[in-house]
Amino acid sequence: MSIDFYTISILPHAGIIIKICRAYTNSQEDFEDYYQEVCLQIWKSKDNFKEESEWSTWVYRLSLNVCLTLLKKKKNDPQHFVSDTLPTEVTEDSRAFADEPLNQLYDAIKHLSEVDRAVILLYLEEKSYQEIADIIGTNPNNIGVRIKRIKERLKKLLDGKIN
Amino acid sequence: MEKSIETIWKQGFLKSDALVAPKLNDLYNQKSTHIIDKFNRMFRKNLIAIVIGSFFALGFTYWYGIPYLGICMFVILNLLAIVNFKIWKSLREIDKTVDSFHYLKSFDKWMKEQVSMNRKFAKFMYPAFFLSIILGVWLGDFGGSIPGEDLVAKIVVNYPDTLLIFGLPMYGVFAITIITALLVKFGDNIYDFDVRLVYGRIFNKLDKLIADMEEIKA
Repeated sequence: MSIDFYTISILPHAGIIIKICRAYTNSQEDFEDYYQEVCLQIWKSKDNFKEESEWSTWVYRLSLNVCLTLLKKKKNDPQHFVSDTLPTEVTEDSRAFADEPLNQLYDAIKHLSEVDRAVILLYLEEKSYQEIADIIGTNPNNIGVRIKRIKERLKKLLDGKIN
Repeated sequence: MEKSIETIWKQGFLKSDALVAPKLNDLYNQKSTHIIDKFNRMFRKNLIAIVIGSFFALGFTYWYGIPYLGICMFVILNLLAIVNFKIWKSLREIDKTVDSFHYLKSFDKWMKEQVSMNRKFAKFMYPAFFLSIILGVWLGDFGGSIPGEDLVAKIVVNYPDTLLIFGLPMYGVFAITIITALLVKFGDNIYDFDVRLVYGRIFNKLDKLIADMEEIKA
């Protein structure tokens, strides 16, 4: 991967890649692996970008796909697929941001299903319902209801922690 | 006042350390070490399996009444294990302190050398295996009867015109010679197939990783 490609095409979107990778990992080591694998895959798949969507949308989608694939590999379960069910257990995160409410929000996000995590991350990044639907591969009509439900769940999880 | 999740998100990421991107080369270091360690483990396991297999073959063939086959297989398999153990020892001499690209290149060079040596060995090993099976069964002892002698006797009775060379049917000798020659000729190709079957995925990953790293360096 050339430094130019990284600087011009990936670095401006590093923020969302970091945010996505962070939501699907529990340690700094895993996070770095995921981040670098995402960068590597963006670079390798760059020729597949057809300009049918924004470059940033394509980066989001690819980042999510890579993270979900790595998560699946990590679980080492051939039957596991991108889950829309709640995780049975949430491993404690060994890292911490300087901002405590953000740590708590991330902890709450990790209690969501893998798909809901993707939806809320995109929502928080101010993506439109249509863009979220495009990235997730679902109907935009359902996105609004889904976000409302996710926010309620997050609020319940955060209640008593953030005032 | 309670903050909304949108506010937490926005304010949280305003802190300077929240979005620091990790270095990009670590993945390659980890992948290089992972691939080589994996190969190392597989190679070691295979060596152990070959030695255990040789003893098993010795015991089983003795019990089955074809001890010559067992002895030949025992010798061939242990020769294979000794040759590969020496090759494996040289793997440990690769300098691990260099950067991942040069480490991988050294490993790749070692791999090509060991494949080349084993290809040469295969030209001897496969024909030797085949001849061991023929010899072992021919001279086997199944409840007092020796299959080789029985077969020749039957052929001579049913086809009295059969030409014999050193007491063996000519067509049989001819067929064995042809098959042995083919195994000598294509032993390296059989080895290639064999090695791809066992280590193919690691070889592909290694090639891909080196190609990636060469492109990064370009």
